[in-house]
Amino acid sequence: METLILVIIGLVAGPLLGGLIAGLDRRVTAWFQSRQGPPIMQAFYDVAKLFGKEKMVVNQWQILCAWVYMIAAAASVGLFFAQGDLLLIFFVQAVGAVFLVMGAMSAKSPYSQVGAQRELMQILAYEPVLILVFVGIYLVTGSFSIEAVWQLDQPLLAKMPLLYLALGYALTIKLRKSPFDFSTSHHGHQELVKGVLTEYSGPYLALIEIAHWYETVLVLGLCALFWSTNVAYMAVLLLATYMLEILVDNTMARMTWRWMLKRVWLLGMGMSVVNLIWLYAG
Amino acid sequence: MFGSFIKKSRAKSPWIIHFDCGSCNGCDIEVLACLTPLYDVERFGVVNVGNPKHADVLLVTGTVNHRNKKVLKNIYDQMPEPKAVIAIGACGNTGGVFREAYNVVGGVDQVIPVDVYVPGCPAKPEAIIDGVVVGLGKFAQKVEEAD
Amino acid sequence: MSNLLFLLILLPAVAALVCYFVRSSAVRTLTVVATGAILTIASLALLGQGTFEPLAVGSFLGISSDFLVTILDFALLGVIFAYGIKHKNLLIQGFTLAQAVLLAWFELVVVEHAAVPALVGDQLSLIMVLVVSIIGSLICIFAIPYMKEHEEHLHLKKSRQPRFFLFLLLFLGAMNGLVLSNNILWLYFFFEVTTLCSFMLIGHDATEIATKNSVRALWMNSLGGLAFVVGMMLVYSKTATLDISAILAAGPQGALMVTGIGFLCLAGFTKAAQIPFQSWLLGAMVAPTPVSALLHSSTMVKAGVYVVLRFAPAYVGTLLSDGVAVCGAFTFVACAALCIGQSNGKKILAYSTVSNLGLIICCAGINTPLAITAAVMLIIFHAISKSLLFLCVGTIEQAIGSRDIEDMRGLYAKYPRTATITIIGILTMLLPPFGVLMSKWMAIEAASSNIYVIVMLAMGSALTVVYWARWGGSLMATRAEGAVPEKQAALIRMPLTVLCLGAVVLSMASPWIYNSMLAPMFNAPPFTVSLGSLDAATGSFAVVPLFIVLGLGALYAVKAASGFRKVKIVAPYLSGSNVGEEGTYIGPMNGHVPFAAGNMYLGELFAEGKLTPIFNALAVALIVLMLGGAL
Repeated sequence: METLILVIIGLVAGPLLGGLIAGLDRRVTAWFQSRQGPPIMQAFYDVAKLFGKEKMVVNQWQILCAWVYMIAAAASVGLFFAQGDLLLIFFVQAVGAVFLVMGAMSAKSPYSQVGAQRELMQILAYEPVLILVFVGIYLVTGSFSIEAVWQLDQPLLAKMPLLYLALGYALTIKLRKSPFDFSTSHHGHQELVKGVLTEYSGPYLALIEIAHWYETVLVLGLCALFWSTNVAYMAVLLLATYMLEILVDNTMARMTWRWMLKRVWLLGMGMSVVNLIWLYAG
Repeated sequence: MFGSFIKKSRAKSPWIIHFDCGSCNGCDIEVLACLTPLYDVERFGVVNVGNPKHADVLLVTGTVNHRNKKVLKNIYDQMPEPKAVIAIGACGNTGGVFREAYNVVGGVDQVIPVDVYVPGCPAKPEAIIDGVVVGLGKFAQKVEEAD
Repeated sequence: MSNLLFLLILLPAVAALVCYFVRSSAVRTLTVVATGAILTIASLALLGQGTFEPLAVGSFLGISSDFLVTILDFALLGVIFAYGIKHKNLLIQGFTLAQAVLLAWFELVVVEHAAVPALVGDQLSLIMVLVVSIIGSLICIFAIPYMKEHEEHLHLKKSRQPRFFLFLLLFLGAMNGLVLSNNILWLYFFFEVTTLCSFMLIGHDATEIATKNSVRALWMNSLGGLAFVVGMMLVYSKTATLDISAILAAGPQGALMVTGIGFLCLAGFTKAAQIPFQSWLLGAMVAPTPVSALLHSSTMVKAGVYVVLRFAPAYVGTLLSDGVAVCGAFTFVACAALCIGQSNGKKILAYSTVSNLGLIICCAGINTPLAITAAVMLIIFHAISKSLLFLCVGTIEQAIGSRDIEDMRGLYAKYPRTATITIIGILTMLLPPFGVLMSKWMAIEAASSNIYVIVMLAMGSALTVVYWARWGGSLMATRAEGAVPEKQAALIRMPLTVLCLGAVVLSMASPWIYNSMLAPMFNAPPFTVSLGSLDAATGSFAVVPLFIVLGLGALYAVKAASGFRKVKIVAPYLSGSNVGEEGTYIGPMNGHVPFAAGNMYLGELFAEGKLTPIFNALAVALIVLMLGGAL
């Protein structure tokens, strides 16, 4: 029963929080660029407007894929709040990622096709790192379930500093922030238009946006696990991490997927493995 | 409740697509100037998207000629309803000084319906922002009528 | 009981002979379908009767069955040797001769011919019998219309189908025998039968390339046979018994015996086409599709992993075990990487098969109850999904005349039924809550205590997503209103539908499959089942809840998507210069220029030609390390 209530809280609070964070993100970005920026609630206005637009698709697969992406993202957040198995949460999230890619590939559009291929490269880059982070958590707590993390009396960060950095790498990719925003470029009028999102429009784009909010919450939830012993420090850690993400987003140019793949597989995996060796030895 | 929130949101989140039909780039520079920190149209939720499928408002600069009228029509057709079109600058409004040229069709309204005309050569950023705001009012009105 | 066993092993052999000698296509169809049905029922009946202790097999016509097997063994080696001479292949001749000499010495001098119960049926055997009998039968049934069409393409004067079905059915019998054997000599005999059958089937079309590839398959598997004989002798020298149950019960018995097991594992590696032996399985793609399906999904290669898995208790806790795990994990990641660079659908399936077998072998090497559960689950679900995908590729190939996934782009427009089943097949290989992913989840959780293995599994798992998602997405497309409906022969549709449903329904039933078939294998079962989810100390996989949530979600999504004709349908965005929805844009002189997009195959990173020698060298090093570790 308690789990059920937690899950419902997660499902409801997820998009609210995610949308707020998206609005905040744009405000802070504007501040960095010495602009005023949109209202905090802007992300909600955008999505509400998109829901009110005419439904328009290239084919039926897009509708299917947009819905499955949203449902899978929500399910993974639900599982997170149910204190489920970290690997399972990750795999459920991957359902959404795969469907997003397949939906983009279903349209015969060069932009969305290229975006889909690049999105696959992003999955290829972040997936092994995330799995290794979960293995690290397993080595510390002896279990893959989130429940075990709350029983620690020392924050995970103390044991897994390098893995946290690697996680940061992976999450920047997952959140599609610069320099890794090459599957859906942040701004239009680039060679890619909107990449993987190009052919989704109106309500279906809104669904994808909501799914993205869920993913943001999931990502921050993962980061939160690293300081599970103290709520205040947890908040500080999350704030610092997200501010860093925004800073990186604003100061980096978009790079190529080759650069990403090499960088993440060498540096990200390298850090993860070194940290794992510490854990195995300890 | 959700319906009224959507209605309210329409005016708060106009995503624009900017199409250069054959402009001398004078108006284009002014359009992009709106996004700079000085004018910062993102205050009003305006985002410059590169894709008609995501856009609410089509900003067109320059004259329409026989070569690009199909493209203009295509882009307009790929925008989901409700949508608004704003013709910017003398050329976009009427064809401007190129009006009599053999290859020119004329203003934007020769090809697609235009909601707002923003005059000027080039149009000032303030005028463009004003045009967008008027355009939003227009399409709110269109939505009302459609309901 | 023993009647059922006879049925499972000998009926396919008898049916095979019927197919060979009665050259009527109606009789053949009837025989194959009836054999398939009987095998399915018999395997289920065997399951219903539960496990049984090792049991002796009497004699035929006054000749003891052990003696019969020995005679057949030498006859088989003779046949293989003859083929070695026919194809002028020294490797085959050498390996076979060595086997014959060693085997003769072993049988005549070393072994004291005590009575050894020949057959046994534990959980693993019963599961394998189910997989072989049911999936194998479905593939054989699919082969009937497929081969008819196949021969029409080839314009043969005289049908070669009798020969084809002879070996196809014989294969099933041999596999059933292999997984039920308790006498290690019987195991060896059936092992060799599968080698011969696969050689015959790969070379079936008798083209130059088919012959070349079949010879390669034969020499590699003969090497495996040799490794098997050597392993058998080493194991016998220490344990002094041919009884597999007794060997397993005794556990690891010192360096010599474990080295022997290492050689048996090597034999399993060759059969399971682990790197560096993967080339024979890739070459096997030239054969008609049902052969590839049979070789890949339920039989031949599963014989290899079965041997490794069967002997797992005999090397538990040794360095060999770690070696096996690392070799398996390496194959998993290396073949996934090679797969990225492929656009040939059958090659993708082949590499992914080898990759998954690597994962199974890796689990056998990790050798904890959790890992063994993962391995067995993966055998079951991989067999279903992979055979489904092979049959799909076969159907697609006969429809569009190509097996390249670039040519399958937009398949849904013309062949909605096949495309949908293929997409479902791909999803069952790739995503939760389906069985293959669940096994992978178990494997990762089980491997977490071994850093080498877990790093490789993490990388391989990511690579896997890429090549599947890419393929699935390519198949989707718009279907024009009022397009011609797709035609599918009944005998093609039946196996496809059954396998597709099986992949989904059995995945949902996996907690119960686990409870009834896998849990009794262990003293301390790794999972408990509650509310349809598998709970272990390390984590839990909520199978049924996930199925309900994602299933309802998917149903809703399908419903939303099915009303798409009410939605405005537009052409993809092409900077406004698109023409209609046909995929052209306005080019120079107002001409219509067609455009196309292709998948990224990362040629510069994952080039097959460049990577294969490197991977082969590494794999050889790892295998040497593994065998050395046993000493």
